[in-house]
Amino acid sequence: MPQVRIIAKNFMDMVASLPAMKLDRLYANPFICQAILRSLPPLAKKYVLEMLYIDGPVSAKMLEEWVLADGSSKHRIALDRLIQLRIFTETVDRKKETSYRLNPTFQINLRKHLIDREVLPREPMPSNIVARLPSLEELEAYALGQWECFLLQLINSTQAEKLTNFSSSMMKVFQRGLLSQREKEASRLTESGFQFLLMDTNAQLWYIIREYISNSEERDIDPADLISFLLELSFHITGEAYNMNTLTEIQRHMIKDLADLGLIKLQQGRKESWFIPTKLATNLSVSLTDSSSRKQGFVVVETNFRLYAYSSSKLHCEILRLFSRIEYQLPNLFVGAITKESLYNAFENGITAEQIISFLQQNAHPRVAERIPSVPENVADQIRLWESDLNRVEMTPAHLYDEFPSRDVFEAACDFAREWCGLLWEDSKKMRMVVKAEIHMHMREFLRGQK
Amino acid sequence: MVNATKGLFISCDIPMAQFIINLNASLPALQKFIIHVIDSTHLFVQPHVSEMIRSAISDFRDQNSYEKPN
Repeated sequence: MPQVRIIAKNFMDMVASLPAMKLDRLYANPFICQAILRSLPPLAKKYVLEMLYIDGPVSAKMLEEWVLADGSSKHRIALDRLIQLRIFTETVDRKKETSYRLNPTFQINLRKHLIDREVLPREPMPSNIVARLPSLEELEAYALGQWECFLLQLINSTQAEKLTNFSSSMMKVFQRGLLSQREKEASRLTESGFQFLLMDTNAQLWYIIREYISNSEERDIDPADLISFLLELSFHITGEAYNMNTLTEIQRHMIKDLADLGLIKLQQGRKESWFIPTKLATNLSVSLTDSSSRKQGFVVVETNFRLYAYSSSKLHCEILRLFSRIEYQLPNLFVGAITKESLYNAFENGITAEQIISFLQQNAHPRVAERIPSVPENVADQIRLWESDLNRVEMTPAHLYDEFPSRDVFEAACDFAREWCGLLWEDSKKMRMVVKAEIHMHMREFLRGQK
Repeated sequence: MVNATKGLFISCDIPMAQFIINLNASLPALQKFIIHVIDSTHLFVQPHVSEMIRSAISDFRDQNSYEKPN
């Protein structure tokens, strides 16, 4: 199962895992060089800038002298990262001395960028051609609406109003790991699916984009093309219109998918058509380094287990429905109750009490967020108690040993089982013991040897 | 000669242990599954009964809860 939580920060690891050939091709694009430079750890950034105008290799010894002794661990991390991303190439000469030099393509492109600010392959379109452009607020609302619609479809909700243009096979790829897909059974959110819903938008976006890229080879698209276009997109200006005819065939194909995700808005004029990047797109390379600002909360939980959610978002309702019982719903307010039965449903789906409580805490309405705790203690405790009520009986496959010939053999067997961390229970009076089933074979051999 | 018996080791609280013992007593002799009652919170039972016990417990839990109709 994919580890959803760590994926969000892993985009550069994915870049690093590209084969050397493709990585070199990526560095031919100056915008990628810049995006990569931004994502580096501070020390690595410094090394790159310092070596930008050095053409020959720099010996490892000299590089080490640049840092104080206590910075050596950071130094190692920076070097590893640079080598991993093939920004540094390592050479060992005849005297067994290591030296590094910057990747020449990367170096040339960054230098160019410093001297004559590299321009994007496309300019914003002049406003007299373009019809009325959406305002920034409209654009953001559009992006979030589009993203929510995609998420609703992703979790197979019946609430989704319109469907995106993703093929069902593509959707399946996104759902992998988030929904359990058993035959003859309605798919359900898995544990990581629930965690996915709880992540902030940027982290979710990265997860989806990652799946999109790693699946691209099956669709005969080069992942390097995708990555370079996505990074390039993040250097466009939000809210400006860019002409569609500046795009290549592959990019034009991609841009439809990106519009479905809410990364860009497509518009058509009388003759020309253009795309407008939204905040989601321009934040792509920013989100590598810092996460977005916290969204405003909307949930109020009362001590009587009532839950009020001031939100018009259907997605929020879907999430709350996972663990609460809906009482009534107004256009901008969802009222539910946290009941034992509704929680049991959630627990059956692999959602834990801690996840529910932390969701309620993180999304607390500003009016209650200042209170400590923001979720009433009795509610949080009861949720935990109901969860532990489900785990009252613990069963372990085991073997019971009795009729030991002597106390010595019994005690030796107990010690042996303890060494393997397999002793569940012992009764030294009656000389009986229970041992985990995994080590039965070892026990049998041990007891044979005792005879 | 040491004798080994395959089974399930159950560890739970006292009421649950009593519930399982009662369940065992209610079954006909052939279907009895408890091999040893080790102490008040531990039982040793036949290896195949885990699902049966779990579903009996969840039935019992359902009988004891009431869901308000909509």
